[in-house]
Formats: sequence, C-alpha cells, structure tokens
Amino acid sequence: MTSSRFFASTLAAILAVVGAGCTAKESTPADGGKASGTEVTVNATDTECAPSTSEGAPGSTTFVVTNNGAKVTEFYVYGKDDRVLAEVENISPGLRRNLVVEFNEPGTYRLACKPGMVGDGIRTDFTVKAPA
Amino acid sequence: MIEMGTVGAGLHASLTRPDVSAQVFGSGLIGLREGLEAGIVVMVLVAFLVKTQRRDALKWVWLGVAAAVAMTIGMFLVIQYGAYNVSGLAAEAVAGVASLVAVAIVTSMVLWMRKAAATISGDLRAGMSRALETGAPAVVMLSFLAVGREGVETALFMVGYAEADTAWPLLGLLAGVAVAVGIAWGMYAGAVRINLAKFFRYTGVFLVVVAAGILSYGIGALQTVGWLPMSGGRAFDISSWFNWSAWYGEVFQGVFNITPTPTVLQLVCWLAYLAVVLTLFLKPVRSAVPHSQPQAPVLLNERSAT
Repeated sequence: MTSSRFFASTLAAILAVVGAGCTAKESTPADGGKASGTEVTVNATDTECAPSTSEGAPGSTTFVVTNNGAKVTEFYVYGKDDRVLAEVENISPGLRRNLVVEFNEPGTYRLACKPGMVGDGIRTDFTVKAPA
Repeated sequence: MIEMGTVGAGLHASLTRPDVSAQVFGSGLIGLREGLEAGIVVMVLVAFLVKTQRRDALKWVWLGVAAAVAMTIGMFLVIQYGAYNVSGLAAEAVAGVASLVAVAIVTSMVLWMRKAAATISGDLRAGMSRALETGAPAVVMLSFLAVGREGVETALFMVGYAEADTAWPLLGLLAGVAVAVGIAWGMYAGAVRINLAKFFRYTGVFLVVVAAGILSYGIGALQTVGWLPMSGGRAFDISSWFNWSAWYGEVFQGVFNITPTPTVLQLVCWLAYLAVVLTLFLKPVRSAVPHSQPQAPVLLNERSAT
C-alpha cells in the first residue's frame, strides 16, 4: 500500500533528523559535573537580557538561561548574517534552561532574549576571542 | 553581575524569582498554546469521523495520538536520563518537516471532503468506508504528526520542568493543557451539532485556515534551521498591536498557528495556500451527481452557480 510506505518513509526521515541532531551530552557545571567548557549565566527578564560576561573563548560554551521575568521567553545565539547557531524556546517564568553552543571561530556573535517569544528580542553582543 | 564559573545551582536560586502567579500563569500559557496546536487538528478529525458515523475508525486517531505521546515521553527520558542531548535546532527541524507533511495530508483530506460533501445524500458512508480502508495509515499518521510535531520541543522543555525548584510551573503547564482540551472539546461539541452539509463546508474552511498556519509555522521553523532562505526578512511586525502573550493572544496563535512577526516567505506561502486551497475547496463540484438533491439545500446553492 502506497500510503503506508509513505508513512514509513516519512517516519524514517523524521527519525534521521532527530538522529542527526543528537549529540553526546557534555557534563556542565549546572549538572554538577566537571566543566568541559565555559559557563555563562544569563538573567532574562521582560526588559533585560543580561549575560554574566560578554566575552568568551572558542569551543563549547554553556549558556544557563534563567527566566526571571513574568513572560515566557526564548533565547537565541546568532552568528554571521543573523544565522541561528542555537536556540532554546519556551522558557517559562522561574525556569532555567541550558544551551550548549560550539563557537568554532573568534568573532562577534549576538545573544537575544525574546520575552513573549515574538519579534527580534532584546539583543546583546557576545565576543569570542582567540586565546592569546 | 554574576561571576562566571563553576558555582552550582545555588547561585541561580539567589536571583529574584518571579512570584508564584507569574510562574503558574506563564507555564499555563505554554500548555494552552502547545495543547491547542496539537489538539485542533485531532479535534476536527474526531468530529469528522463521528459525524460520518465512523466511530469505529476513532481507534486509528487514538493510536496516532498515543504513539506521539509515547514518542515524546521516550524522548524526554532519553534527554533527561540518557547520554544524549537533542538541540533546539534539531527539534525545530523535526517540527518543520512534520508540519509540512501534516499540511499535505490535511490538504488531501480537505479536498476529499469537498467531493464527499457533493455526494452527501448518496453513498457517503460507503465512500467513507472505502476511503478509510486505504486511509487508515493516513489517519494514524495525521494524528501522530498533529500531536507529535512538537514532541521533541516538548520533551526538551520538560527537562526545564523536571529541574524546577518548585512544582508551580508544572501545575500551570498541566492547567494550560487542560484548558486547551476544554476549548477543543467545546469546538467539537459545537461542530458535531451542525448539519452534515454545513459541517463539511465550515470544518473544511476552518481546516484550510489552520493548515495554512501549520504551513507557515513549518516554513518559519525550517528558516530558523537554515534549510530555507531569508530567515531575517520580516514581512511586518504587529507584535505591538495587542498583547500576544496574553491568554487570548496565545489561544489565537495556538488555534491558527500564526505569528505576529512572520517572515516574507511565511506570509507569501500562507496567503498563496489560502488562495489556492480555499478556491479549490469552494469551487463547485462538477460531477456526475444528479442535480436533484433536496436533502442538501446548501449544496444546491453552490451547484446553481455552475
């Protein structure tokens, strides 16, 4: 039957996408594990998007985003030309989410919190510097 | 403000927390929107089967829904306790692809409904039976995709709830889902009461509008992932028109899958889909069906236009 073949192939395609998106967990300080990269805490409110630092190093960086506002928020990391490098959606007030980002090269990146999950959000620069 | 480094969870708790009502309400809105996004298509599917006296096929709907819920829970357990993580972008990619497939199925279903409406006084039940003999996988698939397309994202954000300091956000989330189920139930109860000919017409148009939203949603997701171009090109931003993050804004977004800040591509596809599919759906059926059908006055009006 063609429809069940269609069903099977779509399911396979979806699983492939999930499989490709799977990454081995790196233990982060927030998990109580050993730090494998740097950790940046982000205080997100309805009017503010404040990372604990605006500078980082190439490699793995974990953003620990806490929504201290009253609106549901989301957090994005943008690279060149507003390309989304990583994102975490649906951060409810009072909740904390981790976002691991691999910064492959030095440069200026943009962080954005989007209270209410609409629009371009509150943006702030994040500079990744090559190790001296 | 806060030092970077290895200080653990205690650090975060020291920040001022939103009060309990904000935690419950904020999570409630997520539950409401996600619940509606998942529930509306299922609601129409159930109403459709009940209305055409195919309650026996409801098992396929519940099979799809159960599979989607099982997948979401499995995904959550893997992310929470397993050795693997799924990125937000991968969740976005899954939601995008699943949405587009769901739109394809809904579209063929809607166009089939149009034909069914034309032969309404005739062999609808026979036609429905034939459709379901070959269509059972499609019914399972559609209910699976409708509920499961955001399953990965749901599994991801459940991790946040599992690690929350209090149970208030989770309570809010569940309350929101309960309200969404209530709204979907109310729409169902209203829908099954109207007569069959009108039912096909109204639910058809409603489904087309919902499907246009799901299409736009899928495109937006794939633009975020980078699989479709022009992610930065916004058509407009009406996020300031009214409070989209208030409950009524979330209901609107949840039912119709729309965003107040669509990209140009999202808007163009939304409009094009509406224009093409609504035209196809509302176009009078030219068929071999005899013109005398006193049982279906609504459709007579439609046919008199030919």
